[in-house]
Amino acid sequence: MRILVVDDSTTMRRIISNSLRAVGYEDIVEAGDGQQALQTLDGVNLLLTDWNMPNMDGLTLVKTVRSSAATAQLPIIMITSEGARDEVMEALAAGVNDYIVKPFTKETLGEKVKAIIR
Amino acid sequence: MSAFSGMEDILREFLVESYENLDRLDQQFVLLEEDPGNKEVLASIFRTIHTIKGTSGFFGLGKLEKLTHTGENLLSQLRDGKKSLSPAITTDLLSLVDAVRGMLRHIESAETEGPADHADLVSRLAAHTEAGPVAAPAPEPFPTGEVEEHLPSIQPLVVVELPPPPPPVEIPSMGKILVESGAAREEHLSEALEQQAAGDPRHIGEILVEKGAVEPVAVKDALAQQQENRAREGSVADSTLRVEVANLDRLMNLAGELVLVRNQLLQFASRFDDASFNSILQRLNLITTELQEGVMKTRMQPIGNVWSKFPRIVRDLAHACGKQVRLEMEGKDTELDKTILEAIKDPLTHIVRNSIDHGVESPEVRAAAGKSAEGFIQMRAFHEGGQVNIEIRDDGAGLDAEAIRRKAVERHLVSSEVADQMGDRELINLIFTPGFSTAKQVTNVSGRGVGMDVVRTNITRIGGTVDMQSERGLGSVLKIKIPLTLAIIPALIVKAEGQRFAVPQVSLLELVRLEGDHARKGIEMIHGAPVYRLRGRLLPLVYLRAQLGLAPAPETGSINIVVLQADGRPFGMVVDEITDTEEIVVKPLWAALKNIRLFAGATIMGDGAVALILDVMGLAQQSHVISESRHEALAEMSHAVEDNGEDRQTLLLFRVGDSHMAVPLDRVDRLEELPAESVERTGSQEVVQYRGRILPLVRPSDHLPERRGERRGGDGQRPQTLQIVVYSHEGGSYGLVVDGIEDIANENIQVRREATREGVTGVVVVHDRITELLDLERLALKVG
Amino acid sequence: MAETKQVCTFFLNGLFFGVDVTLVQEVIRFQAMTEVPLAPRVVSGLINLRGQIVTAIDLRRRLEMPDRPAGRTPMNVVVRNADAIHSLLVDEVGDVVSVDESTWEAPPDTLDSRTRELITGTHKLQDRLLLVLDVARAIRFQAVDATLRDA
Repeated sequence: MRILVVDDSTTMRRIISNSLRAVGYEDIVEAGDGQQALQTLDGVNLLLTDWNMPNMDGLTLVKTVRSSAATAQLPIIMITSEGARDEVMEALAAGVNDYIVKPFTKETLGEKVKAIIR
Repeated sequence: MSAFSGMEDILREFLVESYENLDRLDQQFVLLEEDPGNKEVLASIFRTIHTIKGTSGFFGLGKLEKLTHTGENLLSQLRDGKKSLSPAITTDLLSLVDAVRGMLRHIESAETEGPADHADLVSRLAAHTEAGPVAAPAPEPFPTGEVEEHLPSIQPLVVVELPPPPPPVEIPSMGKILVESGAAREEHLSEALEQQAAGDPRHIGEILVEKGAVEPVAVKDALAQQQENRAREGSVADSTLRVEVANLDRLMNLAGELVLVRNQLLQFASRFDDASFNSILQRLNLITTELQEGVMKTRMQPIGNVWSKFPRIVRDLAHACGKQVRLEMEGKDTELDKTILEAIKDPLTHIVRNSIDHGVESPEVRAAAGKSAEGFIQMRAFHEGGQVNIEIRDDGAGLDAEAIRRKAVERHLVSSEVADQMGDRELINLIFTPGFSTAKQVTNVSGRGVGMDVVRTNITRIGGTVDMQSERGLGSVLKIKIPLTLAIIPALIVKAEGQRFAVPQVSLLELVRLEGDHARKGIEMIHGAPVYRLRGRLLPLVYLRAQLGLAPAPETGSINIVVLQADGRPFGMVVDEITDTEEIVVKPLWAALKNIRLFAGATIMGDGAVALILDVMGLAQQSHVISESRHEALAEMSHAVEDNGEDRQTLLLFRVGDSHMAVPLDRVDRLEELPAESVERTGSQEVVQYRGRILPLVRPSDHLPERRGERRGGDGQRPQTLQIVVYSHEGGSYGLVVDGIEDIANENIQVRREATREGVTGVVVVHDRITELLDLERLALKVG
Repeated sequence: MAETKQVCTFFLNGLFFGVDVTLVQEVIRFQAMTEVPLAPRVVSGLINLRGQIVTAIDLRRRLEMPDRPAGRTPMNVVVRNADAIHSLLVDEVGDVVSVDESTWEAPPDTLDSRTRELITGTHKLQDRLLLVLDVARAIRFQAVDATLRDA
């Protein structure tokens, strides 16, 4: 079970990765933006991505992933900020499976991940 | 108890990351003012604030979250073009950056966000924001209270750049590798991919093997290749590391100690003559030097890290002064030791403020003088001669040397006689004297911060020098020279009551030795304090023994004065003996001894003994030798009996063994290189045939009394060619044999008359090195 | 079961002292040292210990005992405490002994107050009393510099 965490902030990546490890997911890879993420997709079973990133943002990443046959079915969770209702609607339209609002607890994150990969 | 494991580390990382992003923001805002519609810059600014907001929630930093949230709303409207940037918005956004930085600092030091909630700023930012559906839904519950109370303390970090990574490579998928290597066919791959898309959870390789479309060994090979690619790709993201400064300090200390051991070993090895041992030692020598340089490099940071805040400072200040200023920076990548970088931050800020406040004129004044309305400030940094040079140049009004002269005399900083002797450049540098300020009126800008004297004190403290040059009406340039590192410094070793003390050479002006009558009568008492008349100026004296609480030195018929400078004022330190110069590794003293102001640290000498390093500033302060009142009293009484210009001499610098020596260039007839075998002997005297005459050769080391620890030239192995300085004395020519001509110096070199040893007329400091002036007459007599 | 502690022992002016052996880095012969003018008189000087500069503290002076008779060279007990290394100058070094709660005793009334302040406890060992030195306190005296300085 390999999870790819995409965020331009190293701090956020560590928070998310640590949270995932705390709830039992050990195989985690990280990417700093959408472009890096596309090069790291091999063998990934779940994609957790931030929205705002340089080079390629989260929304473009989701659209690109969905447009490729190999990854069209890859489960994706979008990490968004509170109050970003428009973002959530747009992300869902682009094909994300779920979203999670910052800040979140590791328990919330764990439940969402568990639900989506079942 | 925090909500996430390893939260202390993460918070620290958050602070470092946020500081870095905020520093970049200052520059981006300036860019934005020039090009308000720049979407890319706006998006980048938005992202920084957005990231801080998003992350602060995890740490339960509610105030920070609220503040950045408000800023984020405004920034998103700017980015989306719903709102355009105005100067008022820029100012408030800059305040936002400051407020965020302030909170982060508070978190770093006090482990809370601090009392300020910046309600004013929040409402101003909100007011700029177009009304719209931006109300935030309630965030999910998060255990905040405890996190806030137990925010861990933060250690300083430094980012170490690793060597540049190879260009990023796109990692081909497993299928692509198999098809490209010819191990599988395209159509089989498409089928397998379809199967995977339809829900087959297996890897591509497995499906293809099962289909019999590819050999298992080919999959294995492809897998290996893929891993290799991935490893290479991994190094792209891992090209920098964060390292705790404390770790680097420890490495630095160890490298310093290794240098000491190496020095001791070299000294020890000189007693033996074993070729293989010497070659091993040579290797150790090289590796030690390389290691030390390598460790020093890890502490190096580009000056751009400090400069990044200047566009903002210049912008704010120019606005406040009603001036237009363009800032240009050159050499941002010039690297400096982190400690030094910290130390120059404030002086640089002050200098730039000064340039804007007092240097660059208002647009009207500039236009009247035929200049462009926009003033210009250039910050330039570059490496030269093992030092870092920083120049701050402006095209402003320049300094008025006459006005400075009047003011300096008025304030008793120099006597009018001395001032009359001073050249423009010397006068201009009086602005660094304590108690001097060129501002005609106190503006709100010059009101803050420090004076130029403090700038110089701070630069001097880290072993640097400052020099101001200016041309009226055209502008000024302030030049700073600072060492690359502080850990190893050249020092003069002096003695008091048999004990050695190291004096950092940066504070050293010259050495004076009084003998015979001079020793008995040279020191006068004025107002009950000892002074020495050095070239007509009264030099206040301190006795090192007295300052150390030791008994006065017995009469020996000679007096050694080390002329030092503290706060830009010269004073003499009387010591028992002056021995040598040495490169020393500075080590801190135990905390309980640090309150003795006289010592800056300790070091280990070549012979393994510990020596204390004198703190020249502390010595001056403890003894009140350069106190304002005393300085003024002496300045009044000083009489410039010699024309200052006479002290300027052009010197020919050369090396004899380990010693640096010089003679006045106007005494030199020619420089010659002659084959060693052309030397003949008449009796014990070496001579050469030169232009049809007999030229007696003078080897300085044969005639100078030996000093302890001095390595003589030649080492028994005489070179193939002789470098000879030909000079005349009383109608005869003489050839001075030297080991290498080094340079010609024609700066303001102060020559003293009294000798430190026979055959030497005096000692000067040239290029930070103790240089002995040879007594050509006496040497001529020795061979004559 | 009582906790046993290893103590490195030494002598000072006829008294028997010890320091927790885990704090002792090494014991070395008397070393040439560099005096620090103006330093409190308990600071004997600075020693070069393999490239590290170590402050030597004369325990006799620290405990306000009479100075060592002329010609008697002290020994260095090098101790490491809170990242700093100090050398404690003592008259002579004894064995490493084990002590535990069973040997613990209250300091005798005859002990002067200065010494009493600088020990963590005393242990009765066969024929003599062991005074266990509080190293952290022994090397902390910045605050009382002035009183310890030579008049």
